[in-house]
Amino acid sequence: MLLFRSEETVDMWCAAYNIPRRPLVNLAQLWQLAVHWYGNRLTVESRRPALDEMVSIFSSLGLTGPFWDPKSDQ
Amino acid sequence: MPEQDVDTRVKLAIYEITAETGRVPNSSAVSRKIDINESEVVAAFGRLHAKRLLLPEPDDPRRIRMAPPFSGIATAFPVEANGTNYFANCVWDAYGIAAALHCDAISRASDGHTGEPLTLEVKNGQPVLKPYVAHFAVPAAHWWDNLIFT
Repeated sequence: MLLFRSEETVDMWCAAYNIPRRPLVNLAQLWQLAVHWYGNRLTVESRRPALDEMVSIFSSLGLTGPFWDPKSDQ
Repeated sequence: MPEQDVDTRVKLAIYEITAETGRVPNSSAVSRKIDINESEVVAAFGRLHAKRLLLPEPDDPRRIRMAPPFSGIATAFPVEANGTNYFANCVWDAYGIAAALHCDAISRASDGHTGEPLTLEVKNGQPVLKPYVAHFAVPAAHWWDNLIFT
């Protein structure tokens, strides 16, 4: 997952490497993903979110559709 | 306090050493810290990998490539936090280090195409928002197929 100044540089990168343009996430969404995923990572009970929890986290941030479905084969 | 199982002790040791030093430890360092045989630590690395909590180096199970959000090797996402220098695995994990350590942090990263310096910062527990974007190249269902590329 790479960082870009803008959608324009994303498009340039995708074209240069023939990589399909995928969803973009803004910094506010990215921070919330980081908090959900890693907020308790240094604790005894830390674990990776379960699949259903992932769906719930993504959905709460407006990240929906097959791309964000961890059970999807897309 | 209930006794912790080996996997939990190993996991906590990995993260404690990493948080303190900025470097992800190998099995020898973890073995010394919690005083168990190194072979047990390597076996725990494998079980933690199966739980998707870490990624051992593909050619050396004694070393850790990723203990997310921390990277075992230098990356394009350096992070400074609590006076210590870390490396994150990706842009998500650059924020993830601040989230895991519960502290402010700064990552001097760069645009994935142009190389222009771009700074990510967490101040007073919140991200300093800029109009940057993260591009997720791999669908969520396949993140662990090739985590290094993801």
